[in-house]
Amino acid sequence: MTRAPRTLAVLDAGAATTSVSLLVRADGRWRLAGTLAGPAGTPEAALLGTLIARVRAADPELGAWPELRAGVLDAIPTLAARSRPPGLLLVLGASRRIVVDLESEAIRTGWRIRSASTESHDPREMTACALDPDVDAVLIGAGDPPGPDERRALEDLAALGGAVARRRPDLRMLIGPAIRARRAWTHAMADDPGDPDRIVEAPPPSGRRGTSHALRAVLDGLRWDPIDGRSNLRAVTASLAELLDLRVELLEVGFDGGARLLAEPGAAGSGPSCRGIVSAEGGLVPPEPDDDTVDSVLAWTTGSLDRHRMSDRLRDLRRHPWVDAAGDGARLRLAAVSAALTRLAALTPDLTGRPPADLTVIAGGAFATAPASAMVLGVADTIRRPGSTQLAWDHARLLGPIGTIEDADERRSLLADLVRDALVPLGSLVIASGIGGLRASGRRAGARSGRVSLEAGGSVTKRDLTPGELAFLDLPPGSHGEAHFEFSEPVRLGKRARRVRVPVAGGLAGVVLDLRDVPLNLPDRRDRRRSRLADWGAQAWPHDDR
Amino acid sequence: MNAESSASGLDLVRLRALTLDGVEARFPLQPGDRHLVAIGETVVRGAPLAERLREARTEVAAGPAGRSGVPGGWWQGPLARRPRARRTVQGELLFQSGGHWRIAAGDPTEPLEAPFGGIITDVRPGIDVRLRTDARALLAADVLGGPSSGRLHFLAGRDGHVRAAEIDVAGAGAVLVVGSTIDAEAITRARAVGVRGIVVASLGVKERREVAGSELRARAGVHGLPPFAVLVLEGAIARPIATPIMAILEAIEGRTVAIVSGPACLVFDATELDLPAVDGNLVRITAGPLAGLEGAWGGLAGPYRFTGGVVLEAGWVRMGSRDPVAVPLGDLERFA
Repeated sequence: MTRAPRTLAVLDAGAATTSVSLLVRADGRWRLAGTLAGPAGTPEAALLGTLIARVRAADPELGAWPELRAGVLDAIPTLAARSRPPGLLLVLGASRRIVVDLESEAIRTGWRIRSASTESHDPREMTACALDPDVDAVLIGAGDPPGPDERRALEDLAALGGAVARRRPDLRMLIGPAIRARRAWTHAMADDPGDPDRIVEAPPPSGRRGTSHALRAVLDGLRWDPIDGRSNLRAVTASLAELLDLRVELLEVGFDGGARLLAEPGAAGSGPSCRGIVSAEGGLVPPEPDDDTVDSVLAWTTGSLDRHRMSDRLRDLRRHPWVDAAGDGARLRLAAVSAALTRLAALTPDLTGRPPADLTVIAGGAFATAPASAMVLGVADTIRRPGSTQLAWDHARLLGPIGTIEDADERRSLLADLVRDALVPLGSLVIASGIGGLRASGRRAGARSGRVSLEAGGSVTKRDLTPGELAFLDLPPGSHGEAHFEFSEPVRLGKRARRVRVPVAGGLAGVVLDLRDVPLNLPDRRDRRRSRLADWGAQAWPHDDR
Repeated sequence: MNAESSASGLDLVRLRALTLDGVEARFPLQPGDRHLVAIGETVVRGAPLAERLREARTEVAAGPAGRSGVPGGWWQGPLARRPRARRTVQGELLFQSGGHWRIAAGDPTEPLEAPFGGIITDVRPGIDVRLRTDARALLAADVLGGPSSGRLHFLAGRDGHVRAAEIDVAGAGAVLVVGSTIDAEAITRARAVGVRGIVVASLGVKERREVAGSELRARAGVHGLPPFAVLVLEGAIARPIATPIMAILEAIEGRTVAIVSGPACLVFDATELDLPAVDGNLVRITAGPLAGLEGAWGGLAGPYRFTGGVVLEAGWVRMGSRDPVAVPLGDLERFA
């Protein structure tokens, strides 16, 4: 008779680091026994062996389990997610305008983007772009119908596409209907339509026959990989929303990409829904950090690095993302995370326009080493919406692997067992906007604009509030309470009112009250900006010596 | 998995491979570049692999008749009867549109020479030529410029910083090991006096940009300069060359070596040479305040609190007679 397994190794093999967790089945449910991460390339067996040795040492009862003996570790079943590199997509079009339209769709997928148009590149340069072995797929699109700015060059573009398809048989090609219909395409392809798995029809980015996300779906479909953790985040976020019956937002920043997803539980018999993007733009640092990337990270740093030195640091961070994770390196990493979240927020204005989720889950290897309060500050700085949300952290990186479970019921069942272990409560983030109006109404800086009473566990903490303030109030994990806000004038906090009651939950960072501008308004002068960031950072970083 | 290293936790330290036995190097081509070799051909060091265009452009011409032309093929137009009146178009066929071919053409050309001898394994017009050798290679992080080859000489020790004044004509034709860092001016001067290559631990982004600019200016000149390459062993932030790498470089000093970019490595033909063995217990600190230092592995330290309240998996590193130091595992590397 075969016994049901009592142990399960969960592996998240990312592009930068590998995380291994050990689950054990006790008292009829799966529990997280421990987790350990190492740089990518570290033997998974070595990570698992070290983790199990620690679990055995910490829990003698588990140590007696025969499944956890040193010689039989290979027999432990494994649930694995392995990151797939994003792939480079070359976007070609017959005008700059259409290339921008195509890019705006493609950038909201997991592809890294490079682009060229017949207006900006000559045929030799465009051919060179397409023949570059780094390019994994080419998207040649046109409007539906093609715009007047495209028509003149469509024949050339179709001929170029056909020639590239013949010269690089390894290349995936996404060809718009307006290109496929050209005689130059069929002539270049010698009247052979080509392998339909390799040469795929690309919906137009907009127009009468183009649906808004059809192209995005095709691009995501090309990258789909059943064991890629990031590709499966939609599924697990939806399962989480359904399980908890909450609106759940997932913010993930990894080495090669990131995600911002908002899932809502189903209603009236419908299943849960999930919207948002998984994008290579959400990655920690792009492969070749350019000046814009350097500036975007510098904008969140408080140190005195100049552009060249920051460029050096980012280049090395990209090359060895697991190194220098303590001290200044941790701050640099979180500045890069903030820049990545800013990029994700810019790509998802539709999500920012919606009310905050009940639960915001932070995930991804980029957060792995940051202190809890610094993580919350990173989210508060970049994903700014008036209202309150509870924050939790996927510390053991279980969500990606659980997302790879194809069966929704099985996925939800495992998640139900693990949700308390998998998600570390970070606390609650309460953002109130409209406080600037109080300042504009003639109150002096630093003047009291309201008061908050935090009631939790029978105790009450009271605090005066000032416009532009960021405050961390202690509320330990597992505690629940209510914050009563009373402002001298109406502010926006979910609704516009003077008096607001907000339920809050405790966590490692406590309750974070954020009365700063929405969106965040930072000084243009670098020294003042750094000073402002340093003041806020001093509250978030433990033992800050700056 | 080695039982001893597994027990001590050394397996959790990233293993860095130093050398490759046998290399297939890729030499990129652009549309219009003309390859001069065929698959299976054996070439010696210095043999021309291709002619690269220095000023490429797109020409429009009738091209081959009917369907005889294929994209990627080479085409030479008919000789002009009146040379002063008409040019002869030749180049790589790109695509045919509106009854005319777009052709990648240009002039003048510069030769792409094989930096080491080997066998041609692939030729893709407009994409690349691949050359395979059984020689060994020292792996690196990046290569700027190249390919190039020359005798290997030392200009500085493993933590050296070379400035322009230290570069002179004695280095002409050589590949120089310059230690930890080098000035952009020194690289420009090295190129000017005929040095064929630089081997350096780190090169900052500022220096990389200046070298790239210098390379562009050199290519734009009427007389092309000889090939030149910079091999960067580590990354952008300054640190000394690791001692196991230094030991290999010292073992091959005076030999002819080649720098190629795909993969980024230093190719050396020393199959008869026993390279220095790497101490299996040696670990090197790659980042943080102790970056560049090396020591002996002292076992796992477990989760350890570092500056800024960050808790990381750490290992003990013994350096000389001092007390062991806890270093994040991510900041350590060992060598194979």
